[in-house]
Amino acid sequence: MSAAAGGALGSARRAARPFIGLVLVLILGVISSPRGAGGSIVFLSAGNLTDILLQQGEIGIIALAMTLVVIAGGIDLSVGSVLAFSASLAGLLLVRWAPHIPAGAQIAATVAAVLALGAAIGAVNGAIITRLRLQPFVMTLAAMIGVRGLTKWMTGNTNIDFGFDAAASARFSDIFSHKPLILSAWAVLAVAAHLVLARTTYGRYLRAIGENEKAAFFTGLPIRMARTATYVACGAAAALAGLIHAARSHQGNPNDGVAYELDVIAAVVIGGTALSGGQGSILGTVTGTLVLGVLTNVLRLRMVDSNVELMAKALIIIVAVWLQRRDRNAPSA
Amino acid sequence: MIALSSPDILGSPPALACTQLAKHYGGVRALAGVDWELQPGEVHALCGENGAGKSTLARICAGITRPDSGEIRVDGIPASWSGSDEARRQGIGIILQELDLFAHLTVAENIALGNPALEESRWVSFEKLADAVAPHLRDAGIPVDPGTLLGELSISQWQLVAIAKVLSLDARVIFMDEPTSALTEDAVERLFTVIASLKARGVAIAYVSHKMSEIFRICDRISVMRDGEMVSTMRRQDTSIAEVIQQMVGRPVGAREATPPEDPKISVLGVWKLSTRKLRGVSFDLADGEILGVAGLVGSGRTELARALFGMTRVTSGRVTLADGDYRPRSVSDAMRRRLVLVPEDRRRDGLFMRMSVRENTSLAALRRYARMGWIDGAREAEEAREQLDETHTTYGDAGQPVDALSGGNQQKVLLSKWLLTRPKVCFLDDPTRGIDVGAKEDIYRLIAALAEEGVGIVWVSSELPELLANSHRIMVLHEGALRGILDSADATQEEVMRLATGGKGDGP
Repeated sequence: MSAAAGGALGSARRAARPFIGLVLVLILGVISSPRGAGGSIVFLSAGNLTDILLQQGEIGIIALAMTLVVIAGGIDLSVGSVLAFSASLAGLLLVRWAPHIPAGAQIAATVAAVLALGAAIGAVNGAIITRLRLQPFVMTLAAMIGVRGLTKWMTGNTNIDFGFDAAASARFSDIFSHKPLILSAWAVLAVAAHLVLARTTYGRYLRAIGENEKAAFFTGLPIRMARTATYVACGAAAALAGLIHAARSHQGNPNDGVAYELDVIAAVVIGGTALSGGQGSILGTVTGTLVLGVLTNVLRLRMVDSNVELMAKALIIIVAVWLQRRDRNAPSA
Repeated sequence: MIALSSPDILGSPPALACTQLAKHYGGVRALAGVDWELQPGEVHALCGENGAGKSTLARICAGITRPDSGEIRVDGIPASWSGSDEARRQGIGIILQELDLFAHLTVAENIALGNPALEESRWVSFEKLADAVAPHLRDAGIPVDPGTLLGELSISQWQLVAIAKVLSLDARVIFMDEPTSALTEDAVERLFTVIASLKARGVAIAYVSHKMSEIFRICDRISVMRDGEMVSTMRRQDTSIAEVIQQMVGRPVGAREATPPEDPKISVLGVWKLSTRKLRGVSFDLADGEILGVAGLVGSGRTELARALFGMTRVTSGRVTLADGDYRPRSVSDAMRRRLVLVPEDRRRDGLFMRMSVRENTSLAALRRYARMGWIDGAREAEEAREQLDETHTTYGDAGQPVDALSGGNQQKVLLSKWLLTRPKVCFLDDPTRGIDVGAKEDIYRLIAALAEEGVGIVWVSSELPELLANSHRIMVLHEGALRGILDSADATQEEVMRLATGGKGDGP
């Protein structure tokens, strides 16, 4: 019984680890925050805290789907390029396309097309990985390069500015950069992803496949379907993030989103999801995303050089993963 | 414990002598104080059932495995080595069953790897290397260009390259672990020529094999091992195949527990002339409630039969039927839909998800039953998993702990529970008692019997003949992919099964 209790305690501690990191960076934020008028702590102001969430929204949404990909034993490096592709495509459809339909319909069509194409890119990734047995790293690396090329070619490598007069693009920008909309989309997707992982047969299959693919095969699990679906989710999530990105920056820029995949993977990893597959949680990923966001915010409030910011991020990743390693090795050793 | 030294070679010290070698793996005894010696210029067979300790003995002598206790002498001088390279330097070579060669390297590079003389300089000149290995290739009977990539050669040729590699070490003692298992007939002949010439040069050869006909053709002496002990060492001319087999099997057969099904009713599995790349026309019939034991040595086609029945290998010809009609499996899930399940042999690699919980492991194969629209009913899952684990007498603290925390026997029971929860009609159990303790084995025998009583048809594989005979209604013996006979376990003897399994004639004792 004591072993069982120890195991339960160990897993509780493991789940708590990203939170400890979050609490630490929050404390750091309070201590180091500049003071506003009347000695108020700028860091803790509602505006600042929701800004952190807003800034992390794009990364956060993709990281949810990336968690599923990584738990099933894969990785998706193409999300930054898919984000740029989606933002640019949205630009083309909203600014260059002039259909004789109401602006609302044009926006709906644009959103549907962008999400569908993002999912389609994910489906291609997943199909090639599971059918032709390419390593996920290699396939999505190729997709990262290829989709970036497609995006630049499609736009002639120029920004598509949304302008303020065109009805459709301006309205689109207003809607998709709306703070409550972004935050609630993130929250709803996080809850959905958590429930899928924790309560459905599909989530259970993903963990089993990531943990031991051979045994999953001998159990007759739908390995190809399950893994392909994670890439579809990841492509769609990157497309949604692309729509938000376009709206917030008021343009479709084919050169945006570079190295986003690394921030996304960092958030997932800090959240305690094992890159070797089989283990991880949505709660951890959300926390990991927030840790990165708070850290960035803290450093920016102090006007720290953005290059130092990168070094601090590097440190956080190493420390977070090292702590989890120790936890994982402790009980079995 | 009969230690014989042949009179004609008395005087010179043995090339290799072991005294009281012992080795345990966890709680399992692999070697229990073995005395054994090898004379220069002799070919000495090591025989025994799977798990008797032959390979462990060979691996210890070659420095791959360290013994718990005991002594090894080379030419009368005590030797102690901390790795296979030190043993190699002393002239002890081994050719493992799983060849330690690399397909992406050339023949010459493969031979030079791990050879201090050939690897000496950091910058290898290919011409020099080719010149150095060519004579060894000739001696091994495989005169290929040393620059050939190993991957372009056949498995038969790999075996001969492995021999050339050992020759290049100037080995005076060579262990060969099942060297002919992958060889074609003419390659076997070539190997025997090489062995004869080695013998003439005074090299001592330890020949680990299951194949009696080969052993009796080329070996001077035969040592039989059983349960980690050296049972006997005999000169070839003083013994017979029958005697060796009897000594390999040894133990008296346990009480027969399996009672035949009342009256065999429906055939739940019919296999007719089933052939794959490795199976040659296997036919048998399984009634509901029947327990069919499958006997055969490693490589006899036991696992291949499972692969064929579960759609993991291409069936070239033959037909399989289930109670409800024809069956052409394409995948494990096909088989599951027809309520045919496979409990794989290697539970850690193919069966369990070690970091997932006991409950999740138990429910995984039947998970769809506890879900509506993909939504798992957690309470029902927990309840049914608990009932099933109780039924298999699994001991576990908390169903939420990782299955890794359980003992081997309990892990095996979790694996069985996982499959029984799918309520199968036919169970294929591949070596379900491997590596578990005696108590857990008894539980598994009881479970098999109980399932059969409920009408489940059971095909099970075991490497231990006594348990197979005691707990099956019939025994099917496979040898090199072909069916050698189906015996009623009530009148089958271990000797008879062993003779069939080693390829001997099947016409009675």
